[in-house]
Amino acid sequence: MTVKRSLFSLLLGLSFFSLVWPVDKRAEAACGSVTCFVVIGSQQQVPQAGLLTFNTTYNYTPMRLLDGTNGVIPAVDQANRRLILDHHQEVRNITQAVNFDLNYGITDRLGVQVSIPYLWRTHKHIDGLGEEGVNGAGELVPFRDNGIGDMIITAKYNVLPTLRSMIVAGFGVQVPTGSTSALDDAGALMESPTQLGRGNVGLIGSVYQTYELIPHRLNQFFYGSYRHTFRNNDGYQFGDEYNLNLGASGIPLERAPWLVLTGQFHWRYLVHDNISASLERSATPADAPDFPGETIVLDPAITNRLVPTTGSTYFAFSPGFQVSLDGLIDSPLTKWTSVYFHSQIPIMRDSNNNLAQGISYIFGITRSFQLAKSGS
Amino acid sequence: MTRTHHPSKLGLLALSVTLVVSSSLAWAMGSRVPTVGTAAEDFRLVDLEGKQQSLSQYRGKVVLVNFWATWCKPCTTEMPAMQATYDKLREKGFVVLAVNELEDEAKVRGHIKQHGHTFPVLMDRDNKVANQFGVFGLPVSVFIDEKGVVQEYIKGGLLTEQVILDAVARIQKPEAMKAASLH
Repeated sequence: MTVKRSLFSLLLGLSFFSLVWPVDKRAEAACGSVTCFVVIGSQQQVPQAGLLTFNTTYNYTPMRLLDGTNGVIPAVDQANRRLILDHHQEVRNITQAVNFDLNYGITDRLGVQVSIPYLWRTHKHIDGLGEEGVNGAGELVPFRDNGIGDMIITAKYNVLPTLRSMIVAGFGVQVPTGSTSALDDAGALMESPTQLGRGNVGLIGSVYQTYELIPHRLNQFFYGSYRHTFRNNDGYQFGDEYNLNLGASGIPLERAPWLVLTGQFHWRYLVHDNISASLERSATPADAPDFPGETIVLDPAITNRLVPTTGSTYFAFSPGFQVSLDGLIDSPLTKWTSVYFHSQIPIMRDSNNNLAQGISYIFGITRSFQLAKSGS
Repeated sequence: MTRTHHPSKLGLLALSVTLVVSSSLAWAMGSRVPTVGTAAEDFRLVDLEGKQQSLSQYRGKVVLVNFWATWCKPCTTEMPAMQATYDKLREKGFVVLAVNELEDEAKVRGHIKQHGHTFPVLMDRDNKVANQFGVFGLPVSVFIDEKGVVQEYIKGGLLTEQVILDAVARIQKPEAMKAASLH
């Protein structure tokens, strides 16, 4: 009982913690891209020894400007190590991702997970505010790229294996397999946050906890992760990322155990990115007659600077459902196979005049294969 | 234009606390699979007839403790084999204890009646015995010898009539040989 009480207190504390986390209204969100994240379960757990679980998810994450914002943000010119204030105006960003996720149980408690994302990204912004175009209005520059993103390899250990509970501690390494050299339609190197890859290694710590509130009917889960990415060769360092998920899944109809409904809250906090660059600003009408004109250097020293348009807070609710095809259709093709769908609906977005993540969608399929017999 | 607060330390603290608590829970509750060759810890559970059953009361017999649930397909698949061997060997010092995990008694009773199983079915309502035997996936079958020592621990739905017969024969063989040598 004491243990259960401790666990409950911890979850309550963490969920409260996530709700009362201070949000700085002056903070500005990313000129870049995010992808939707939800807890699937089969991705976070440690499969039994010899079991390979294969998850394929399709994820659609749009980002648009919120009402009452104009999207004017600084530009990151990592090729020339310049950070130029008020030089971009964001229009939209859409990230589509297919994530191939392999999860293998080395032992009943130790597992390894490999996630390989394939991304399609389209981004549209106005570049060169105060410098180009009629009256320094800038020029519309679209960007599109597709390819493999950064792979993540995670070692996981089930520290609390019981029939009702599971606590899995994970340590992952993000491998810089994604491109960081894509050009926009004007031929310029695209900003780091919009590139498919981060350009350097990242370390990810995670905890996944689950408890069957009503055995085999109602399940509670929690997931927390922290990611630190090291500075890449362009002098750009992505800010640390914190994720907390708290949710429940249940079988609504006893006669239909193949249907599982899920609801989860997701909280994400991104710390400011950092770039080793000089600091400039766009020319403004107050600089006439040099308007429109060259950018104005505020500090020529190339030094580590926070990128003010990065760092964001996001809180969302994700309803979804999972259908076990195994339980629905008796066929070898559907053995150990499930499909699922989740949408992620933002509740609170700290967009601060930048693109904000809209309603995202995730569709996925899970299938498990017993590669080696479970030991005796 | 930049943030003044740095909650990263708080975030790290939250994750650290989670890890520490997880480790503590694991220490406190973490199930350890009984090693083959060690004595099985005794337990007492109520069966479907409402009678108290304990592992120790079957000392002198080979016991197959099978952890199962009605929703678990591999569990229900191997139960007919358990019933068949129980019918064959019950007079020869073999018993099956089917330990149901966390299910409604009426549901279990219905299942047992429907399939005509006659071996004792015990209700592990609070998951205690499963934890005691390191069970975190179903089914699990534990063969315990006449002296109460764990001889085989099988995870997954691998039981067939032949597997059970062979296991019982292996366990009873040394005793039979010993008995024969005394005559």
